Amino acid sequence: MGSLFRSESMCLAQLFLQAGTAYECLSALGERGLVQFRDLNQSVSSFQRKFVGEMKRCEELERILAYLVQEINKADIPLPEGETSPPAPPLKQVLEMQEQLQKLEVELREVTKNKEKLRKNLLELIEYTHMLRVTKTFVKRNVEFEPTYEEFPPLENDSLLDYSCMQRLGAKLGFVSGLINQGKVEAFEKMLWRVCKGYTIVTYAELDEPLEDPETGEVIKWYVFLISFWGEQIGYKVKKICDCYHCHIYPYPNTAEERKEIQEGLNTRIQDLYTVLHKTEDYLRQVLCKAAESVYSRVIQVRKMKAIYHMLNMCSFDVTNKCLIAEVWCPEADLQELRRALEDGSRESGATIPSFMNTIPTKETPPTLIRTNKFTEGFQNIVDAYGVGSYREVNPALFTIITFPFLFAVMFGDFGHGFVMFLFALLLVLNENHPRLNQSQEIMRMFFDGRYILLLMGLFSVYTGLIYNDCFSKSVNIFGSGWNVSAMYSSSHATKEHKKMVLWNDSVVRHNKVLQLDPSVPGVFQGPYPFGIDPIWNLATNRLTFLNSFKMKMSVILGIIHMTFGVTLGIFNHLHFRKKFNIYLVSIPELLFMLCIFGYLIFMIVYKWLVYSAETSRVAPSILIEFINMFLFPASETIGLYPGQEHVQRLLLAVTALSVPVLFLGRPLFLLWLHNGRSCFGVSRSGYTLVRKDSEEEVSLLGSQDIEEGHNQMEDGCREVTNEEFNFGEILMTQVIHSIEYCLGCISNTASYLRLWALSLAHAQLSDVLWAMLMRVGLRVDTTYGVLLLLPVIAFFVILTVFILLIMEGLSAFLHAIRLHWVEFQNKFYTGAGTKFVPFSFSLLPSKFHNNDLA
Amino acid sequence: MPESAELYFNVDHGYLEGLVRGCKASLLTQQDYINLVQCENLEDLKIHLQTTDYGNFLADQTGPLTVSIIDTKMRKKLCREFEYFRNHSLEPLSTFFTYMTCSYMIDNVILLMNGALQKKPVKDILAKCHPLGSFMEMEAVNIAETASDLFNAVLVETPLAPFFQDCMSENTLDELNIELLRNKLYKSYLEAFYKFCKNHGDVTAEVMCPILEFEADRRAFIITLNSFGTELTKDDRQSLYPTCGKLYPEGLCLLAQAEDFEQVKRVADHYAVYKPLLDAVGNNNEGKALEDVFFEREVQMNVLAFNRQFHYGVFYAYIKLREQEMRNIVWIAECISQRHRTKINSYIPIL
Repeated sequence: MGSLFRSESMCLAQLFLQAGTAYECLSALGERGLVQFRDLNQSVSSFQRKFVGEMKRCEELERILAYLVQEINKADIPLPEGETSPPAPPLKQVLEMQEQLQKLEVELREVTKNKEKLRKNLLELIEYTHMLRVTKTFVKRNVEFEPTYEEFPPLENDSLLDYSCMQRLGAKLGFVSGLINQGKVEAFEKMLWRVCKGYTIVTYAELDEPLEDPETGEVIKWYVFLISFWGEQIGYKVKKICDCYHCHIYPYPNTAEERKEIQEGLNTRIQDLYTVLHKTEDYLRQVLCKAAESVYSRVIQVRKMKAIYHMLNMCSFDVTNKCLIAEVWCPEADLQELRRALEDGSRESGATIPSFMNTIPTKETPPTLIRTNKFTEGFQNIVDAYGVGSYREVNPALFTIITFPFLFAVMFGDFGHGFVMFLFALLLVLNENHPRLNQSQEIMRMFFDGRYILLLMGLFSVYTGLIYNDCFSKSVNIFGSGWNVSAMYSSSHATKEHKKMVLWNDSVVRHNKVLQLDPSVPGVFQGPYPFGIDPIWNLATNRLTFLNSFKMKMSVILGIIHMTFGVTLGIFNHLHFRKKFNIYLVSIPELLFMLCIFGYLIFMIVYKWLVYSAETSRVAPSILIEFINMFLFPASETIGLYPGQEHVQRLLLAVTALSVPVLFLGRPLFLLWLHNGRSCFGVSRSGYTLVRKDSEEEVSLLGSQDIEEGHNQMEDGCREVTNEEFNFGEILMTQVIHSIEYCLGCISNTASYLRLWALSLAHAQLSDVLWAMLMRVGLRVDTTYGVLLLLPVIAFFVILTVFILLIMEGLSAFLHAIRLHWVEFQNKFYTGAGTKFVPFSFSLLPSKFHNNDLA
Repeated sequence: MPESAELYFNVDHGYLEGLVRGCKASLLTQQDYINLVQCENLEDLKIHLQTTDYGNFLADQTGPLTVSIIDTKMRKKLCREFEYFRNHSLEPLSTFFTYMTCSYMIDNVILLMNGALQKKPVKDILAKCHPLGSFMEMEAVNIAETASDLFNAVLVETPLAPFFQDCMSENTLDELNIELLRNKLYKSYLEAFYKFCKNHGDVTAEVMCPILEFEADRRAFIITLNSFGTELTKDDRQSLYPTCGKLYPEGLCLLAQAEDFEQVKRVADHYAVYKPLLDAVGNNNEGKALEDVFFEREVQMNVLAFNRQFHYGVFYAYIKLREQEMRNIVWIAECISQRHRTKINSYIPIL
C-alpha cells in the first residue's frame, strides 16, 4: 500500500539554528518545502516578536516596490515576469537592495513630482488661453445686457467703454473669470445669485473640448464663466464662493491689447513647457524601464524574505541567545533531506558551527500529510472537503478513485453521454499545460481541477452505458438479440405442442395492440445477450418494469457491498491504532448486524436469479414477502426459496439480535474492566492521539528539555499532555449513540443507495423524452424538407443534451455520488478530525505578479 | 403593514444589513485592546492594527507616524465604508443615512464658522472637519454673518435647511451665538430624526427611539452643566433642550432651574436610567468623567441594537461604535506618544 492508504508518519523535530545561519537555513528549507513550523511564541503579540525590525524593513521594501509597480503600470511599460523564481536574497545584499530601491524611489518621486508640477502648469496655461478665447465674446454681450439693470443708467453700446462708465458712476466694476467643473455650474450660479442678491452678472459658456482636472487627473467638461460685479464687498463674497466651488480663477484682462499680449505670452510659455515636459517624460520612462527589468525578481525576493522572517518569529531563543530553536513537523521520510537542507544553509552562510536537528518524542497529534499527484489530487480533495483525515487513519481517497466514478456512472449510465464527457475530460488532460487553462477562473477552473475525475467518470459511464445498453436513450444491437419473435408464431411449431403454449397466429397479431413474447416457448429465448441488457427491451412496453427491478436490486447490492467494505476498513484502523478489542467489540458485531440482515437479502436476490428460470418463474416467491416474513414469523407456512429456510433465518435473526447488545455495551464494559483491573495501561479514548507508546523515560526527557529551554511547562500549551479522566458514563453515552446511529443507519443508508436506481432512471427517462420530443419529430418529416428541419433540430438536440443531460444531470449525479461517499461510506470508519500539513514552502507564496497583490 | 417587516426587509436592505453585521464583527476585541495598550510606540501600534481589520491602512505612509495621521486615516476608512452603505441603500434607508450625516454636518458648519470668527484659513479647518459631514457648500459658510444669512445663502439646499426654522435671527454670529446656533440646530435635528424613526415604526423605532432619547437627554445634561457660570439665561437654556428625550417635559423644566451639579444630580434621581449614571461620576479625580459614563452607556445601547434584526438601527449603532473605537485608539495613541501611561486604560471598552 502506497502513501495514499495512510498519511505519512510525522515526527516532531527541533532545529537548532545558529543565530548567524538561521536565515540561510530557512531559505534552504523554504525552497524545498519540507517542514511545518509550530508557533512557539503564541502568547507574544506581533509587535513584540524578535524580528519585528526586519519585518518592518520588508514591509518598507514592499511599499517601495508597490509604488514602482504602480508607476510602471501608469507609464504602460510591460513588466517582464521571470520564469525561474530567484532565491531569497543573501543578508549582505539586502542592505544594498534597500539602498538601491530607496534611491530609486527618491529619484522617481522627484521626477514625477516635477512632471506633475509641469503638467499642472501647462494645464493651467491651456485653461487660461481657453478662457481668454471664450470670454472675448462675453464682454460685448455684457454691454448689451446692462441696460436692463435698474440700478444703473443706460449706457452707450459702443465698444468696451463700460468699464470707464462705471468708474464715472463711482462704483468699481470688477470682473472675475475662470473655469468651473461642469457638474457644479448650476449650484454655483444659484449660490452666487442668493449671496449677492443679483448684483452680479454671470455669463458662461461650455468649453468645447474636455480638459484634465489638475487635481484628480480626470478628463471632464469645463465651463468658462465671467462674473461682473460692482463693489468691494460683493467681490469679496464672489471670490469666496469661487473658492468654495474649486473654480480655477485667472486674471481678466481689461483691454483688448492686454488680452492680446497675455495670449501671446501664454503661447510661447506653453511651447516651452511642452518641450520641457517631453524631456522629463522621456527621462522618467528611461528610469522606469530600467526599474521594470528587475522589479519582478525583487518582488519575489522580498516576499521570500518576509516569509523567512515570519517563520523566524515563530522560533524561540535559547538561554544564551546564540541559537534559535524551531519546532517543526517533518515527514519521517524527509528527515534526510531536512538534514541536507540545514547543512546547505550552514555552508552557504559560512558558519563554523553547523545547525543541527534532533527529533523529539511527542504525544501530540501530528498534522496529516498525504502526498498526491495531479491524478489523485482531485479525489483527495473530495475527501478533504468532508474533513481532513486524522493522523495515520485509513484514507478513503484511495478507494474513492474507483468507487466514486463508478457510483457516478451507475447514475449517469449512457455511453453516448459518457463518451462526450470522456472526450471533454481528455481534451483538458491532454492540454493541461496550456497556460490559459492553468489560469482560468471560476467554473472552468473547477472543471480543470477535476479533469481526472471527469475522465474516469466518463469512462465508467461508457461502461455502465454499455451495460444498460443506452446510447442517447437508444439501444445498440451489437451481438444480435437473444430473442426470436418468429418462434412465437404457431406455424413454426409442431401442432402437438400448441396446447401447452399461448402462440400467435395472424388474427392474434392483427387484433392485439400489445403482444407478449414468452421465453418458455422453445426457440423464443435463445440465451442471454453476451454483454449488458438485450437491445430488444428497447422496443418492449414493459421495459421500465424490467429495468426498474434490475436497477433496484443492483443498487441495493452495490450499496451493501460498499458499506460492508467501509466497515471492513474500520478494522484496519483498529489494527493500526492497536485497539484490537475494538475489532471484536465494534467492527465484528457491526459486520454481523449488516450481513445477517442485508447480506442475507443479497443472498436471496442472487439465489432467486440463479435458481428460478423462465419456466418456474410463476412459482417463484416474492423476495419482499420473504424478507418481511423473516422478521414476522407468520403462522402460515410459506413456500420459501429453499428447504430449511426458516431455520437459517431464525439463526441469522438470533445472531443479529445478539450483536446489538455487544455493540451497545461491549466496548464501555471492556474499557471499564481495563480501567479497574489494569489501570497502568493508559488508553486514550477520544480519537487516536496515542500513536506511540511513550515510555516513562521519554516523558522525563521531555520535561528536562523544557526546563533547559527556559520554558514553563504549564505555559507551553502546545505540549500539554492530556491525561483524560476515565468517565464511564460518557463512554457509554457515545457508544450508545454511535450504535443507535449505526443500526438505524444500516436501514436508512441501504435505502439511501436506492438513489442510484432513481437517478439512473431519471437520466434514462430524460434522455428518452428528449429523443422522443425532438429527434423523432425531426426524423419524421419527409425527405424534401427534412434536411432543412433536421439541421436546427439536431442543433437544438445537441444544446439540450449538453446543458440538461450532461451538465445538469451530471452535476446532480456528482452531488449524489459525493453524498454516498461522505455519508454512507465514510461514516462507517472515517473520523476526519485531522489538520492538514502545511509546509513552509516558497512555492505556496503567491507567484502571480499583480499590482493588487502588492497594494 | 409595518408588522411584517421580516417579510420584505431583506429584499431592499438585506445585503447591507449582512454587510454591517460583518463589519461589526471586525471591531477590535478586548484582546486587541490589551495588546494595543502594551505598545511602546506608534510603530508598534501600526503593526498591531495591521493584524486587525484595519489592515494596511497606514501602509503608504512615508513620514513618521503621528496621532493625527492615524486619526485621519481611520476616519477615511470609516467614511469609505459609510459611503459604500449609502451608495447601495434604498429609500427609506437612504434618508436614514442622510439623517445620520446631519449631525456631522452641523458640527462642521459650526467648526467652520468658529474658524472664520478667529480668522483662521479655511484650508486648515477643512482638514479638521469630519469627512462624514462634508458637503459642497460647506466652504462657503464663512461668507455668512448672521444665521438667516447662513440659511438663505448657503444651507438652503442642504439637508440641514429644515432645522433652521427655529434659529433664524439677524444677530451677528459671535462665539455665544454660534454655540446657541449649534444647540438649536442639534435640537431640531434630533427631534426630526426622532420623529422620522417614530414614524417609520417597527423594530427600527423600537431600537432607535431609546438611543435618540438618550442622546437628547445627554445633550440636555451637558448643556445644563456647561451653562453654569455663563451669561446664558435660564429661559434660553431651556429653549436649547431637545424635547424628544425621557426627561421631557418635567425633567427639562427642573434642569432649566438647576444651578449646580448637585441640583442636576437631584433631577436625575427621578429617572431610574440616569440615576446610576450620574452617581458613578466622581468628584474631580476619583470616579469617571461624566462624558465617559455617557459614552459607556451609549456603547451599551449600540451593542444591544445588534440583538434585533430587520431594522436600521444597526447602521447607526455600527457607525457610533466605530467612532467610539476610533476615539479609543486615538486616546491610546495619544497616551503612547505623550508617554502618559497612567491613564492609558481609561478607554471605553466595546463589549
